[in-house]
Amino acid sequence: MEIPNSWNPSSKEWSPREVTRTVGLSVVVSLAVIGIWTSYYTVAPEEEAVVLRLGAFVESAPPGLHFKLPFGIDRAIKVPVTEVRKVEFGYRTIEAGRRTTYAQRGGDDATLMLTGDLNIAAVEWVAQYKIKDARAWLFNVLDPEETIRDTGEAVMRAVVGDHTVTELLTDQREQIAQQVEVKLQTLLDRYGTGVQIVTVKLQNALPPGRVQAAFDEVNAAQQEREQLEDEAEKEYNKLIPEARGAAKREVAEAEGYAIDRVNRAKGDVARFVALVEVYTLSPEVTRQRLFLETMERVLPKVKSIVVASEDGVLKMLPIAGSSGAK
Amino acid sequence: MKGPIAMLGGLIVIVVLWSSFFVVNEWEQVVLTQFGSPVGDPITESGWHFKTPFVQTVNRFEKRILIWDGERNQIPTYDKRFIWVDTTARWRIKKPLLFLRSVRTVQGAQSRLDDYLDSAVRDVIGKHKLVEAVRLSNRVLDLVPTNDEQPEVREKIEKGRDLLIAEMLATAVPKIKDLGIELIDLRIKGINYVESVRQRVYERMITERQRVAEQYRSEGRGRKAEWDGRRARDEKEILSEAYRDAQLIVAKADAEAATLFADAYNTDPAFYAFVRTLQSYEKIMGNNHTLVIDPDSDLYRFLGALEGK
Repeated sequence: MEIPNSWNPSSKEWSPREVTRTVGLSVVVSLAVIGIWTSYYTVAPEEEAVVLRLGAFVESAPPGLHFKLPFGIDRAIKVPVTEVRKVEFGYRTIEAGRRTTYAQRGGDDATLMLTGDLNIAAVEWVAQYKIKDARAWLFNVLDPEETIRDTGEAVMRAVVGDHTVTELLTDQREQIAQQVEVKLQTLLDRYGTGVQIVTVKLQNALPPGRVQAAFDEVNAAQQEREQLEDEAEKEYNKLIPEARGAAKREVAEAEGYAIDRVNRAKGDVARFVALVEVYTLSPEVTRQRLFLETMERVLPKVKSIVVASEDGVLKMLPIAGSSGAK
Repeated sequence: MKGPIAMLGGLIVIVVLWSSFFVVNEWEQVVLTQFGSPVGDPITESGWHFKTPFVQTVNRFEKRILIWDGERNQIPTYDKRFIWVDTTARWRIKKPLLFLRSVRTVQGAQSRLDDYLDSAVRDVIGKHKLVEAVRLSNRVLDLVPTNDEQPEVREKIEKGRDLLIAEMLATAVPKIKDLGIELIDLRIKGINYVESVRQRVYERMITERQRVAEQYRSEGRGRKAEWDGRRARDEKEILSEAYRDAQLIVAKADAEAATLFADAYNTDPAFYAFVRTLQSYEKIMGNNHTLVIDPDSDLYRFLGALEGK
């Protein structure tokens, strides 16, 4: 808009009064527009706003539409308080625009740590956090993100330095992560960062590249140990029941023998007792009968009979009708 | 002519007002200077404040915690390990007046901190063994059979990392205090062998692992032998117990049979001898045998009786 010139009333006659009025009016209107424009703000659902009046904190505002004093007297700084953020240590997600100053996996000094037994391990881990106090997040620490990273590295190395490489690579990973989480939270609270650590996770804890094969060998040897033991145990479990069976069989056989032996003895005895009864009634006849009966059964099988007489002469007795004779 | 003069006057009033008050943000503290020299106490309270227009200058300083990041120092430890140590610290401008006089800017402060802290770190690390800087505590370490190259690993630490850091702070803090700086803490962010040493450490780790692997293997063989032995023992025990029991059963049965026989035969031993002899004949004489007999024997008499017929 062209400012009218009161000294040169060429097109239209404007009195200085009118000029002042017009200028004043446009100033007032534009001030009003700017005033309205700067007197409200919206806070997104995941955010919280911290309001400063002439630099001093006045209030925090929840999500929604809010009003404030215009013309920059009030300033609303929005902080994403529900968003879970993460800091990655030792590796980075390949993502454009993000921080790329940290080493790739398996790589270099960023991941390598000294363990308590003065060995080296490569640890890749991630910490997730939330802003629990927007005011503290903004006003207590200059660069809270860098502070989390710095402190995280220091804490992780301190905790790893208190464990052996074996513990770190095998069974203590959970505990290490937990310790780091607790210590990191304590420190960040001490600095007043307004940060809540959500989790600390060890993504990867590996021996350094060259040493990996030796660690694999240990694992293989451990498996081998279990396998040898398993096999020996299996052998035991196979052979011992077999032996138990064999033992039972032997005892049972002995018992069978015992029953057999006793029963037969009883039978023989019964038979003898019966015979004795007969014998006592008529001894001579019975003796004769028994002898003859036996001979009848025995002699037909005999081939020849030699009689040794007192004078040394041997006399052959022919046996007629004997099956053995030729 | 009244309008422009009024406007000019208004403008002057605005400029003067503008220059006579200033805003201090939550994260700032301010020292007012007049022609270069500080005036009054530092202003740490946020909000708006007055000053003398035009002559007083507002010097703003951070109130928040700042980061100091140390150089990566190569330091030999007391036990001659060559390592690098990376430290970081948190600090804050505590006395802005002193700060303004001594270092003026954050960059200036950082470089002074570099001097003091780096040397403190170097001194303390150099006076201690490597384990002292690595470990926090004497937490029982489940150590694998380790090389004799590294006896210190088995030793207990005397101080540990936290105490070492406390020593570093003890030397650095008094000097830093004069800068108007409060050092909140100092931490070791990284510590590792220098590259040339690292290769040797890797070699050591490899032999150490191989030893562990060998241990596992021999443990495996040992456990197998243990099972084998237990198996042999149990087998022998089971079988011999069975043999013993079987023999006992047999013996008992034999004894019972013998008693039965003895009781019966004792009723007429002579007759028993006779019957038993007959049974023996029957068993002894088989097919195609040649029988040699005595003329006095019953058998001969029996045969003679046959012949006589």
